Amino acid sequence: MPPAPNDIDRFERIVLPHLDDAYTLARYLLRDPHEAQDAVQDAALRALRYFETYRDGDARAWLLAIVRNCCLTRHNRARAERANISFVDDVDVAHEGRATDARAVEQSERAALQRALDGLPPEFREVIVLREVQGLSYREISDVVGVPIGTVMSRLARGRRRLASALGYDAREAG
Amino acid sequence: MTCAQCRELLDAYVDGELPAADAADVREHIASCAECAREHVALAATARRIGETLVKYQAPDVLKARIRVALAQPDSLAATAPSGTSVTTRRLAFGGLGIAIASSILTFAVVRAVSPDRSVTDEIVSSHIRALMPGHLTDVASTNQHNVKPWFNGRVDLSPPVPSLDSIGFPLIGGRLDYVQERAVPVIVYGRRQHLIDVYVRPSTGDRKEANGETTASARNGYNVIAWQSNGMSLEAVSDLNRPELEQFVKAFSGAR
Repeated sequence: MPPAPNDIDRFERIVLPHLDDAYTLARYLLRDPHEAQDAVQDAALRALRYFETYRDGDARAWLLAIVRNCCLTRHNRARAERANISFVDDVDVAHEGRATDARAVEQSERAALQRALDGLPPEFREVIVLREVQGLSYREISDVVGVPIGTVMSRLARGRRRLASALGYDAREAG
Repeated sequence: MTCAQCRELLDAYVDGELPAADAADVREHIASCAECAREHVALAATARRIGETLVKYQAPDVLKARIRVALAQPDSLAATAPSGTSVTTRRLAFGGLGIAIASSILTFAVVRAVSPDRSVTDEIVSSHIRALMPGHLTDVASTNQHNVKPWFNGRVDLSPPVPSLDSIGFPLIGGRLDYVQERAVPVIVYGRRQHLIDVYVRPSTGDRKEANGETTASARNGYNVIAWQSNGMSLEAVSDLNRPELEQFVKAFSGAR
C-alpha cells in the first residue's frame, strides 16, 4: 500500500529534518560518501514504508535505528561480494585550500582521530559517534543500537580508552 | 566506594548520565582519591577532544533532492528493493529497465521520422526521467555556480549559463552530461521544494520557432517542458513542477546573467 499524501507530509515534517544526522551516522559507519548516500536514501524510503509503526516519540533515534540497519545490510553485502572492504580515507576533510599552521595541526589531529576511529570495531565506533558527534543520551543510544544501557556504557568506556591510547592522549590508559 | 567501582561509573559520570545518588558517591570518592581524580580529568579531556574534533556531516543537497524525488513518486516506493532482496534480483530488475529504455528509444526513433521536433522533446523528457534514478542525477554535485560552470569546459563545445537562483527559491544542485540526439548535452540541475528541474542546453539549430524572449510550453507524461532560445543556444527546462512555477523559473533563468 503506497502511503497517503497526508502521511508523506507528516513524514517530511517529522523525519526529514534529521537527514544530516542520518548522513553523519552512515558516513562514519560505512566510511564512504557514496555508500552513505545510498544507505540514507534506502533508510528514508524504508522509514516511510514503516512510518505507521512510528509512535510519537524520538523521531531522530527512530530514523537512526533504521539508518544503522541499512548500513549493516550494505556492509555485510559488500563484505560478501569482495573479500576486503576498500578503506576510504578522510579526503573531504583534508581538501580545505591553504592551511594555516594552526589549521594544519587541527587537520592532522582530525585525520589521526578519524583513522583511530575507523580502526575501532563497529560496535565501539557506533556508540562513540552517537554519543560524541550526535550527542544522544544513553537511553537513545540503547534504542538505536538495540542493546541494554549497561552495554552502551561499557562499549562507550572501552571505545574511549582505545581511542585515547591510539592517539597517545594518556599513556596510562591502555586497554 | 572502591576505586574499581568508581572507574566503572566514571564514563557515565562524565556524561551526566548517573542517578543523583551515584553521582554524589563518585564526586565524594574523587575528592579523596588522587588517582581516580587524575583518571576523571583525563577521561573528561578525552571525551571533549573526540567531540570537538570529529566532524558532523551535512547531508548533500543531491541526497536530499533524491529523497524528495523518491517521495514524490509513489512508484519508486514500491520499486525499492525490500530488505533481503539479493543483488542478483536487483541486477535483473535493472536489466529489465534497460530493455524498457531501449525499446522506448526505438519508439522515439520511429516518431522522429514523423515529427522531428516532438521527438527531441520526448527524448529530453525520457532522459530527465532516467536521470531521476539513484546515482544518475548529477555528475558534478555542487550548489556553487563557479564549480558547475567550469566542469563543462572541455566536455562540451558550448558554455552553458549557470545562474545562481538561490535567492528566489531555486537552489542549484549540480550538472551532468547527457546524450540527446547522439550529442553530449550539458544539463544544469536545480531544485524547488521536492521537485527537480533539468535545463538542457544545446546549440541552436535554426529550426526552432521561438524568437529571442519567446517560450513554448508543452507537457509529456506529466512533466512540463518549456523551451526557449538565447544567444545562439536552444534551452529546455523539464520538471514535474507545476507550469506557473516552471515559467517563473525560466523567466529568472533567462533573465539572469
